[in-house]
Amino acid sequence: MSNDESMDPMRLWREWFVKSEKSWSDALTEMMGDERFSDGMGRYVHEALHSHRMFGESMGQYLANLNIPSRGDILDMSDRLAQIEDTLGSIQVELRSQRALLTTLAAGTKSESKPKRPARTRKPQADAS
Amino acid sequence: MQADPAAAIEETKHMSSSTTAGRADDSDSELDARIENVVERTILRNIPGLSLHVSESDLDVGPTPKELVYSNETARLYHYEPLLDEIYRVPILLVMSPVAKGYILDLAEGQSLVEYLLLQGHDVYMLEWAAPRREQSELGLDDYVIDLVGGCIEAVVDDCGENEVTLVGYCMGGMLSAMYTALNPEGPVKNLVCFTTPVNGDGMELYKKWMSSPAFDIERLVKELGNIPGDFVNSSIQALRPLQRSANQMRLLNHAQDDAFVKAHLRFDRWAVDQLPVPGRLAIALARDFIVENKIVNNKLELRGELADFSKITVPFLHVAALHDHIVPAAASKDFIDLVGSEDKQEIVMKGGHVSLVAGGNAVFRLWPQLDSWLGARAL
Repeated sequence: MSNDESMDPMRLWREWFVKSEKSWSDALTEMMGDERFSDGMGRYVHEALHSHRMFGESMGQYLANLNIPSRGDILDMSDRLAQIEDTLGSIQVELRSQRALLTTLAAGTKSESKPKRPARTRKPQADAS
Repeated sequence: MQADPAAAIEETKHMSSSTTAGRADDSDSELDARIENVVERTILRNIPGLSLHVSESDLDVGPTPKELVYSNETARLYHYEPLLDEIYRVPILLVMSPVAKGYILDLAEGQSLVEYLLLQGHDVYMLEWAAPRREQSELGLDDYVIDLVGGCIEAVVDDCGENEVTLVGYCMGGMLSAMYTALNPEGPVKNLVCFTTPVNGDGMELYKKWMSSPAFDIERLVKELGNIPGDFVNSSIQALRPLQRSANQMRLLNHAQDDAFVKAHLRFDRWAVDQLPVPGRLAIALARDFIVENKIVNNKLELRGELADFSKITVPFLHVAALHDHIVPAAASKDFIDLVGSEDKQEIVMKGGHVSLVAGGNAVFRLWPQLDSWLGARAL
């Protein structure tokens, strides 16, 4: 099977592509670094944004009439979810500090339940530089 | 020797026809075998892909147990559970790039820098970034360095009870770490390690050409978009080596029978396209101040009126660069070591690319032990 694979033309083509990819990529990147390309790309980005906004505005009304959420609505929801995640994160942090506080208080009353934290006394091994 | 020529011809014909029939049989069985082979290979190639799509849990990343310690705006500070009973005194704070997710440093069991450091006895924290919300587009470079990195360092100090921290920054996380250290030379940063960190905007050639073009207006882009979307960041990174992803897909097909290869590939691939959006004001600072005006190398970068002068960094410093890094090429990072004012400073240039430097096979066997050795001697 391995011999068959080595003669597989698609495999050979893929191997050639993998080997020569860097040269092709370098050539494309060089082309993209050309001043005319850079100017064209800059213009294209701004034009695409402009048309995207125009299209988004007109579609927004159309989608609202059809009772379908627009991209803006989805982004609003994503922001609200992120806010909820942030709040949950704050609660998580607060719970962690309260738990540490309780453990410390408990350790003050019961010596056997002292919070276990690793000793910060480690030294590098002799062969370390 | 044939006595009867006609009989000989007949025999020859018979032999010839039986040979042809034999050849036809051989050819049929060969064809069957080839079809069987193709079907078998197709199934083998598809199984790993199918199983991975069916079971996302196979691709789980970030397996090392951790707890959220601090959260502010887009900053998320996690503490990893120590794995040994005795650890080094000075904790490590890994600072991720604001455009990349932190799981590249904790990709999978046995392929995790975090796990390795824990097993060597380091106390590890990680500053990861959450995707900015629309109202967070006003977060700038000064907020990231002074409030968010600074806030996390304070939280680490509070949490572990030590007054010193080692900063280990990856890519732009290294840039943020170095800026913080330059602004706070009196501490609490004890050591600074930066992986593949760009400091010279002129070395980011393609981005420099694009962003210097009069047709490209970053402020207008930010005004329109608020935050720069992750897809936009991803496309910009892909442009630095446009066919690499296709080549990786070809490589994947050639190793489709190797389940471990497929899983590792898909984990890397998932991370490579999983870019975070960039807050608008931060994007403007990176494009204008860092790339176009090259303010780090020209020593003109000011954050809230204070000069982030890298020559003020005097703590032990290690910079690790990748020989074949196309995202942060040598031209963008080689000046770092000279800019830093530390007496104890070292640069390691290793084989590999931007990602394989910290998470590839070479990292596991070469970089990580060197990093542990360097950190261990300075974490007392």
